[in-house]
Amino acid sequence: MNYPVWFVPTFGGGLLIALVAIVHVFVSHFAVGGGLYLVMAERKAIKEKSQAIMDFVKKHTKFFMLLTMVFGGLTGVAIWFVISLIHPAATSLLIHTFVFGWAAEWVFFLVEIVALFVYFYAFGKMDDRTHQTIGWIYFGAAWMSLFLINGIIDFMLTPGTWISNSSFWSGFFNPTFWPSLFFRSFMSFMLAGCYGFLTATFLKDEAARHRMIRYSGVWALVSLILSVPAGWWYISVLPDKARSLVSGASPTIARAATVGAFSLAALAGLVMVLILLHPGARTRTLTVVVMIAAMGYLGAFEWTREAARRPYVINAVMYSNGILKSEVERINREGFLKNAKWVQHKEITEANQLEAGRELFLHQCFACHTVAGFNNDIINRTKSMSYGAMRKYLTSIHEKRYFMPPFVGNETELKALAAYLTAGLHKKPLTDDGGAAGDRGRVLYEENCAACHSADSIKPKIKGWDLAKVRAALDKLPALNPAMPEYNAPAPDKEAVSGYLFSLNNPGAGPPPKAQGATLYEENCAACHSLDQIKPKMVGWSKEKIRSALDKLSALNPAMPDYSGTAAEKDFLADYLVTQTGGAP
Amino acid sequence: MNPATLIPAADALTAHWGWFQFLLMLTFPLHLFAMNALLGTALTAFIAHLFPDRAHRELSHELAKSLPFLVAFTVNLGVAPLLFVNVLYGHLLYSSTVLMGLFWLAVIPLLIIAYYLAYIYDFSFKRLGNLAMFIVLVVLVLLMGVGFIFSNNMTMMISPASWTRWFATPGGTLLNLSDPTLLARYLHMMTGALAVGGLFVALYASTRLQHDAETAEIGTRFGMQLFSWLTLLQVLVGTWFLLRLPAGVMKRFMGGDSLSTVLFAAGVILALATLVTGFKRMVLPTLWLTLALVYVMSFMRDSVRTGYLVPYFDITKVPVNVQWSPLVFFLVTLVAGIAVVIWMLAQLMNTKKAC
Repeated sequence: MNYPVWFVPTFGGGLLIALVAIVHVFVSHFAVGGGLYLVMAERKAIKEKSQAIMDFVKKHTKFFMLLTMVFGGLTGVAIWFVISLIHPAATSLLIHTFVFGWAAEWVFFLVEIVALFVYFYAFGKMDDRTHQTIGWIYFGAAWMSLFLINGIIDFMLTPGTWISNSSFWSGFFNPTFWPSLFFRSFMSFMLAGCYGFLTATFLKDEAARHRMIRYSGVWALVSLILSVPAGWWYISVLPDKARSLVSGASPTIARAATVGAFSLAALAGLVMVLILLHPGARTRTLTVVVMIAAMGYLGAFEWTREAARRPYVINAVMYSNGILKSEVERINREGFLKNAKWVQHKEITEANQLEAGRELFLHQCFACHTVAGFNNDIINRTKSMSYGAMRKYLTSIHEKRYFMPPFVGNETELKALAAYLTAGLHKKPLTDDGGAAGDRGRVLYEENCAACHSADSIKPKIKGWDLAKVRAALDKLPALNPAMPEYNAPAPDKEAVSGYLFSLNNPGAGPPPKAQGATLYEENCAACHSLDQIKPKMVGWSKEKIRSALDKLSALNPAMPDYSGTAAEKDFLADYLVTQTGGAP
Repeated sequence: MNPATLIPAADALTAHWGWFQFLLMLTFPLHLFAMNALLGTALTAFIAHLFPDRAHRELSHELAKSLPFLVAFTVNLGVAPLLFVNVLYGHLLYSSTVLMGLFWLAVIPLLIIAYYLAYIYDFSFKRLGNLAMFIVLVVLVLLMGVGFIFSNNMTMMISPASWTRWFATPGGTLLNLSDPTLLARYLHMMTGALAVGGLFVALYASTRLQHDAETAEIGTRFGMQLFSWLTLLQVLVGTWFLLRLPAGVMKRFMGGDSLSTVLFAAGVILALATLVTGFKRMVLPTLWLTLALVYVMSFMRDSVRTGYLVPYFDITKVPVNVQWSPLVFFLVTLVAGIAVVIWMLAQLMNTKKAC
């Protein structure tokens, strides 16, 4: 809201960040581990007095320099460019908090460049001892870069006590700092082994090739094994909310975790094959597969880390859309548009409602949702929701689905956003009833379920289920699929929803009486009496007594209008009330 | 719409703003030196290709070897000032960055291509034959394209009046082409860059190419000519840029702001002095004068920015929550880092001597 939004409707910024970040992460970790690999391999060549291995190390250094210094260095700058474009508010907060951390990282970047140039250009010309020292300096500087950026990245997931004391060091040495540092270090050594494979396959000397492939294999395997407990440690220190996202409450993380697990298994297996088998002529294909598996493992980890802080860009501090958590209450009171900088409609009128809604979408939703694009397409996500359902959904969007930020703004703004998402995107009517009377189940379904499942998609999944099974399922949604939140609604609501769901495959069935009664109550009585209010008044009433009262409401209390429903509707209502108040049926 | 209402609030600083200003003004000229050397080297290497004789070809070849280093240091030394600009003016910079997002991101692929081409030009110089000439030309054009994108962002970030265009064009496809100073400013930067780059070539040729007297002579002569003639041209371009500045900003250099006026006077004197030493082909005196001149120009550039921002932003009003230890940590790292770099370069020199 403070910054303009880079609006390319079909291309979400999140995807761009993920692409650049994963490419960079793959090269930058190699830049760290590869430094150690180079000095260790050089030492091996010196010890074994092997010119073939020494030549290999020199060649590998060239490959290493061209890949890490050019591509790695510039994709690192690219991440900075991309995040300041997609998350300007968060970038500003990070830069202002950690400027001297970044400045120190720049110094190490400088040392890395000089060291690598000297190491490469003086290869074979410098005495071994000094050359090795230069190699160690390179590795030390590269690892320090990792050390520094690791603190800042983990701060975004677990800001820890920084939230209360704003101290640089509290934010830097945050709860995930150490496990992440270990994990990333092992990851970088593993990648160095994987890249080592690749260049080793180009070795002409057969004996040296075999030795270097084995050597790289041991690197990769040992680091891989060590990375597993570090990863487990990392997950175990995550805050509850993030951990529940990681353990399945977010569908995208669940997918990433599966990819990660499979890659890990494949990687371990392939590496062992490479070490144990005598590396034959086909190893180059195999090393490429190893690289892809390694990429899958690390990529899945990064994706999970990024996703685990949802709905925040800086956990518990700033939402993905750049709104500070601490400001939400004030903005809800004062209005979002009034506080936003880059909006044209500061006041909502009937005429500009859709345009204002569009601006709200741009500043609050577009950070994660594309419009007809391939990532989290908002059109697809909202197609089965009516205006009324959308309004209800927006009021509790964060409570229903933790990884979505809450809507921030006042009631009128919420309506405008709902109008844009339904009338604006889908030309749906702006009527508020959400459906005809008696369709309460459908309305509730739209409010609570349709954001993820359209009725068409759910229908085949519950084919052949009887009503009781549907009803029972609503009590244990997370057990069906960990990505589904609990449906915390009163029993009548659940009955209405199960009736609606059952009717999808059984068109003639119609909603059960109880569900109809609940709907009728909501529509006709609930505006003045909550169930809790009338319960004590009706203790011990029989169904007959209730039924007859419904014929003469104004006689009970002159302030009450008579109920104009049909006899059947009064029966349903009486049925419902008697179950709610505990009277005799 | 009042453009001032679009300006985001600046986040609090963790040290007095003077620290960031100091570090910005310290590191930005370093980036300029590397960038200038890069552009001048690429241009000279290209022009030398136009002469068929051995010495000119050798000059291109020698310059080719320095290109990858220059790209690496231009990027690295650009990171530090960009970081400090982010701290001081991030709220302005990010806004204009979003407006031109597509072009801003294009900087990265352009640089990656230029960087790899520079390596190809260096590593495969002999194999490339006549193709080498075109490769280094492409490198030069790409890098000057990057400079143009930067000029757009640096002028747009200080002109909130141009920001309202976002409402009609939010796709990150805006440039600042309608800004009357843009072209003059860009040409001022490029003329200066190529001139100082020429000086770098002269320095490089006269100190590093002594083993080949003819090549060294050509490089030195050509570099100094490039420097002197472009600096002469700069008198015109610079004046044009000055006249294009908004009256309020221009007046800062004409007595409106005493420091800016002193800087301007110093700049003119230094520029005239470099013309004398340049045309006389006195490499080292020109170098010392130019080092000072680039710093003076950087401060003038900063004064232009301050002038533009007078109605919109005052850095002294940004809240400050001082935390000393991270600053100390950085300064210690910086000193240690520089020491290590010097040690490594000394080792390299020893090796070369031994060879």
